[in-house]
Amino acid sequence: MQCEEVRPRLDAYVDGEVTEAERAELRDHLAGCADCGPEAAALQRLRDDIRRTVPAYRAPAILRSQIRFALRREAATGAPVAFHDPGWLAYAASMLLAVAVGSGGTFLALGERQEDRVASEVIDSHLRSLLGTNLTDVASSDQHTVKPWFAGRSDVSPPAVDLSAEGFPLVGGRLDVIAGKPVPALVYKRRQHVISVYVLPAGTVDLGETLTRRGYNLRHWDDGDLGFWAITDASPSELADFEHLFRAATRG
Amino acid sequence: MAWIAERRRRSRFESVVLPHLDAGYALARWLTRNDADAADVVQEACLRAFRYFDSYREGDAKSWLLKIVRRSCYDWLERNRPSDLVPLETADAASSGTPLPSTVDTEQLLQSRSELRRLDRLIEELPPPLREALVLRELQELDYRQIAEVTGVPIGTVMSRLHRARSALRRAWDGKECR
Repeated sequence: MQCEEVRPRLDAYVDGEVTEAERAELRDHLAGCADCGPEAAALQRLRDDIRRTVPAYRAPAILRSQIRFALRREAATGAPVAFHDPGWLAYAASMLLAVAVGSGGTFLALGERQEDRVASEVIDSHLRSLLGTNLTDVASSDQHTVKPWFAGRSDVSPPAVDLSAEGFPLVGGRLDVIAGKPVPALVYKRRQHVISVYVLPAGTVDLGETLTRRGYNLRHWDDGDLGFWAITDASPSELADFEHLFRAATRG
Repeated sequence: MAWIAERRRRSRFESVVLPHLDAGYALARWLTRNDADAADVVQEACLRAFRYFDSYREGDAKSWLLKIVRRSCYDWLERNRPSDLVPLETADAASSGTPLPSTVDTEQLLQSRSELRRLDRLIEELPPPLREALVLRELQELDYRQIAEVTGVPIGTVMSRLHRARSALRRAWDGKECR
């Protein structure tokens, strides 16, 4: 790759918006080029400076309650009631699709629906943990505290590893219910973001990519007889990094 | 049982949309550059979102809310601070006095604010289209597709706006850091 080809792609490169193959080519070029390398480093430094120094604005608690109050008033007095619930329609549409796939595709359709159901339950469960006060049932960055806590509480024993050194500190664990069963969730932090990792028996399809649902990023992978579902509002590329580090650490 | 349906609709709205309230507030805060105005705009945007909630389909709730918040911000700016909303090209030309290529001009705009020693102040000086692209990418960590969705422009435009925002900031910021 030549500098002229590399330059226009640098922003996309630091933003994680290039394909894996392109990423590798760009990385090779940047490592060896005395012009483009520092240019990419400067972009990265600007990002770090921005994230480190500018204020992270959050909605004040008073605004949150004012909005809830206003919604109640609006719901009580205002708009005509909509009888069609979009959630229900979407569900009905997915059933129709499953039927339309027909008998030959039944297995596929069932597989996808199962996958989708786990994905939605994982998102709901992660959201509940963020909304409430119960982020962790056992709060510890010590893997020798977190792992044994799950013994006797669930069918699977999750491999808890602390990844503080890599920028993903373990903050604890929690027991959630997914598909009607108690499931261990490991809780990590990435700056101000929370990552929940749900550990289920393996056996579903490996997605091998990041799904984005309702603004949350979700990755699923199987390792041995365990299946992992990681969800966060951190960026897809950070989640991919997390999967990579987590897999490497749990094998080691 | 209309009230039951209505209550379900509200509780679904609260669980799907309100988790993204911080993101909505942050965007409004960057666009209005003021706490009190951001709070007003976000409250207005949430009620608007609730009215349009039937148009929300299962999907990216964060982008959906941000899009409505952004729209509310621009409406609010139009009513209260129309001077903030100079079109991108005009803003660039006005700051330099000559019709130079727009990249250069945005950079000059920032450099002329040499008293600004804080990165957040420099970001606030960017024209709104560049500012929102940068904030959505660097602070809300949206990907290009989501930024395009929220701001209603093609992905190519998102890329060039991000590039322009960063070039301008780097000229103004790196200078202070290095020397």
